[in-house]
Amino acid sequence: MDIQKIRRDFPLLHNGAGQKTITYLDNACQSLRPSSVIEAINQYYAQSSACSGRSMHRLAAEVTRSCDQSRSAAAKFLNAGRKEEIVFTRNTTEGINLVANSLNLQKDDVVLLSDKEHNSNLIPWQVLSRKKGIAIRVIPSHPDNTFDLEAYEKCLDNKVRLVSLGSTSNLDGTSLPAAEVVKKAHQNGSLVLLDAAQAAPHYKIDVKALGVDFLALSGHKMLGPSGTGILYGKYALLDQLDPFLVGGDTVASSTYDSCEYLPPPEKFEAGLQDYAGIIGLGAAFQYLQNVGWNAIQKQELLLNECITSGIRNLPQLKIIGPADPKLRGGIVSFYIEGIDSHRIALMLDQMANIAVRSGQHCVHSWFNAHQIKGSVRASVYFYNTIEEATLFVTSLQKIRKVL
Amino acid sequence: MFCIVAFVILSILGIFSATNRSLAKEALDCVLRRVTLRPCNTGFDEKMKARILGSVITRSENAARLINSHFELLSWTFFILMFASSIYAVRSSYLFYVTGSCNGLNQTAFCVLDPQGSSNQISGIDETCKVKPTTAADLTLSGVNLTDFPIMNSNSKDTIVMIGSYGCDYTRKAYPLVRELVDKSKASFIYLDYPVKEKTDYLSRVGFCVAKQDPGKYWQFNDTLFAADKAKLEDVSFIEETLTGLGMDSKAIGFCASDPQTQATVTQQLDQILKTNFYGTPTVFINGDPLIGPKPYRVYAIKLRGLWYW
Repeated sequence: MDIQKIRRDFPLLHNGAGQKTITYLDNACQSLRPSSVIEAINQYYAQSSACSGRSMHRLAAEVTRSCDQSRSAAAKFLNAGRKEEIVFTRNTTEGINLVANSLNLQKDDVVLLSDKEHNSNLIPWQVLSRKKGIAIRVIPSHPDNTFDLEAYEKCLDNKVRLVSLGSTSNLDGTSLPAAEVVKKAHQNGSLVLLDAAQAAPHYKIDVKALGVDFLALSGHKMLGPSGTGILYGKYALLDQLDPFLVGGDTVASSTYDSCEYLPPPEKFEAGLQDYAGIIGLGAAFQYLQNVGWNAIQKQELLLNECITSGIRNLPQLKIIGPADPKLRGGIVSFYIEGIDSHRIALMLDQMANIAVRSGQHCVHSWFNAHQIKGSVRASVYFYNTIEEATLFVTSLQKIRKVL
Repeated sequence: MFCIVAFVILSILGIFSATNRSLAKEALDCVLRRVTLRPCNTGFDEKMKARILGSVITRSENAARLINSHFELLSWTFFILMFASSIYAVRSSYLFYVTGSCNGLNQTAFCVLDPQGSSNQISGIDETCKVKPTTAADLTLSGVNLTDFPIMNSNSKDTIVMIGSYGCDYTRKAYPLVRELVDKSKASFIYLDYPVKEKTDYLSRVGFCVAKQDPGKYWQFNDTLFAADKAKLEDVSFIEETLTGLGMDSKAIGFCASDPQTQATVTQQLDQILKTNFYGTPTVFINGDPLIGPKPYRVYAIKLRGLWYW
């Protein structure tokens, strides 16, 4: 992989002469966008700004075709059985909310979560618990924060209707053994929803091989436009679900007192969609596939090893998650006892133009349970260089000397 | 304390930048919390501290360490300095308003509100025989006999005495303001001409002769000369035209001005003027208090009528 060539594709990574280039290590929040994605969006607004699937004119036909191509690209990206299993959403949160509100869970049905779920995979179930009386059961992790398969199995019983888990944690980068999880859930008669927001940008997901029932992801973490996402669902399941949002373009016909829904995915895509975003997302899938998963993972591991080895021995610094960087994907999340994480992030920004995330990363539940105020999270992606990782390490070492 | 210092600084910077305006709002929120004895939980001070440390650390790790260790102490220090400098700034603004200089009346030290020191500029007199140089504190009207000089509004309780020179730029700047004040206040007014420019020194004798011939025309004569183009003051024909324009006999005035007796009398008058210990024109005495240099109108008016002169 020619990183310098790749970096030239990202406008934010090659500022003009004299300008300080950002070291962007906040990829777990959202990634940067390559020119091809930006151009795809621009092209829609400049050349074919029209509705998809409604009007008959040539512009509309072109948009319909482009959106259809994006859906096909998404299906290919996830190795879905058919493109109708791909529902366009605004983000992972909307995908999870769609399942939560459409699955018809009943009182005392159990939804199984891990102890470090992002709020997007926690709050919808809490709301459902208050509204319908469903129960939430939390699977404890190993002490090093890796997924505890044994504890998971113990949590499975005949009341568990749904297992809803983050495939890769945005807190520490650890991934769960998804195939095992799905297999055991199905053996228990439970459905599985995977939050793949942090997984999809970093490794190949094969929904057919996993056998997962639902899978949600966000475009903005994988080079795509913000405000785009995908919910994958097995067609038979999607067909059974009532739509979450209803209205324009979700029905084949309506009378004053009834309507006939369109088949999936249209019945879940209410109202005018973000066509520019959908087309841009298609370009993002294409870009990622061109780079290749092996190259992406190899580069991320190299960077994670560099950062981990550079900071692990700093006084009072604790890395969240397992010590081995191989188990943490592209994320190094850490805290220094007695030092506010925001202060470290702001200093990195000020002194070296390094962008990282600080705080509780929408995983307040885990931080509250562990009585930790917050952490600094450096998250790398394939376009980051070893020089950037080194700059981060040396900058943090300086900060540690001062604070 | 940091919030207060930051609020003041950011408010000023906020005039020029939207980013700083937004930070100033955060600082204000923090200040309001502090003054109502609530914790400043907006993270503002933490944020600013991090930014400061982030900037300093690139230049000196030791300095950054020092700031980090003594941040509260430094905040207090800056707060006290800011408080003290604010008091000085208010004092200076007040003095500038009242005296035309940030440092007080007739003080010539640098003033940021009048960087050129324009309200203290004078044309110095050439008096090399003085035992010691005089200062503003030495200026006085005591012992100066002013009875031989023309006086306007002689019955007023207020007296304005102006020592000036027709050819002095600074006198020419101050004269119309003093005249305006005299017209408005009806204060007694005496103009003492002390020629600081050789080429126009004959005008002192001309003025004396005008006053001698028709005291009422003396003030019109002065007003005309101070309103005229300065270059024309050296032109005798212009003076003659002016005198004729005032309905006076210019030949008789010319004869009077060249009379040795007039020269002697004017020299005596100049000696009286020197008794004031003045050292440059214009010098204006308002009820005995000297104001040196061309002050703004308000300064003369405040001296005469007080702060609320209008």
